[in-house]
This record gives sequence, structure tokens and C-alpha cells, in this order.
Amino acid sequence: MSDREMEEMKKLLKDTLPPVGDAELGHDLWPAMAQRLADRPLRVPWWDWVLLVGAAATILFFPGVIPALLYQL
Amino acid sequence: MYKHPYLRAYLAGIAIPTVVLLVIMTGYTIIRYVYNFPIPIERVIVFPMAAVPNTWGLWNVLYVAFLEKRHVPLGLFGGVLPLLLAPSGYAVTRLLNFTVPDEVFHVVPFALPIGVIIYYLVWKYFVGFLNAELGIA
Repeated sequence: MSDREMEEMKKLLKDTLPPVGDAELGHDLWPAMAQRLADRPLRVPWWDWVLLVGAAATILFFPGVIPALLYQL
Repeated sequence: MYKHPYLRAYLAGIAIPTVVLLVIMTGYTIIRYVYNFPIPIERVIVFPMAAVPNTWGLWNVLYVAFLEKRHVPLGLFGGVLPLLLAPSGYAVTRLLNFTVPDEVFHVVPFALPIGVIIYYLVWKYFVGFLNAELGIA
């Protein structure tokens, strides 16, 4: 590629990609993120707790099920 | 942000198994090569390492594409997945002549419901969270 072609390529790239302008954030994003998380409190129904405790207890007291569980991974 | 919903669904689906498999394989590698654990699962490892995360991703794409609008619970849909993965894992071990101890098969009636429960909870809370964060559910 000659120098002239290189210059043309640079010009084309500059024309195609608009300047970024002010890349700095206008404000802190964390308060909005915290607000978003607070707006969606996690509610776990009782039957999910029962399932979780049952599954954990089975694995804890019968660790022999672990190799069979690996089939499902 | 709200373009390509199926791509985002796929990425949300593969995130959990990718991380979990990394942890499991790290532990297995330490046990296998540091403590000389005598089960060479390297021959069948391609199944969990390659197929499972992709299956999770495609499962989530299926959910977003067809079932979310019909208000099918994500947890229940995810809970069905072990019923496909467990036979697939068994088929891979048979195809590769990988010997599985009989004790493993004896506990399958107990392990399969546990797997379904784990998948149900993981899909409901973790994949559901990722889907919500990515704006697809």
C-alpha cells in the first residue's frame, strides 16, 4: 500500500468514525444502579426454601449422589 | 441495549454453567493431578465443557423466543433441562466406553430430583436475574 493510499485510508476511517467528543461521564452511575437494585427486592417463597434445604440436606447426608449429579452438569 | 434479544438471552444462559464448570474443573484438576485421583474423566469432559453451557444458552433463547410471552415460569422450564442432560451424559459415556461405577446408577433415582430442584432454583433466581439485568425478561 502506497503512502497516498494510506493517507486516503486514514481519511476514510476518520470520516467514517465520528469524533467521540466529551467521553467523561456526566454524573455518578452508582446511585441509579443502587436505586435499581433497591426497587427489586428479592422475594423467595417458602416452598423454594423447602426445596433448597431439602436438596442441600440430601447432598450433605448422602454425598453418594454427587457423582450422579455430575451427569446433569 | 435493546437490540439482539436472542444474543443477550444466549449470553445470559451460558454465564452460570461457564463459571460453575470453571470452579468444578479447577477442583477436579487439583484432585486428579495433585492427589492422583484414579478416574480419568478427561475422555468425557468435552460434554460438560462444551455442550452444557451451549445447551443452557440455547435453552434460554428458546424460553425468550417462545415461552416468555406465554408466561411460562423460567424456573420450571430450566428444571426440565436435567431430564435432557442426564440421558445425554449417559449416552456420551456409553459412546466413549467410559466405565461408570454401578453405585452411581443406584443413586440416580435420588440424584435426578435433586438435579431438577437445583436447576429450578438456579434458573429461577440466577438466570432470571441475568435476563432481567439484560432487559430480556
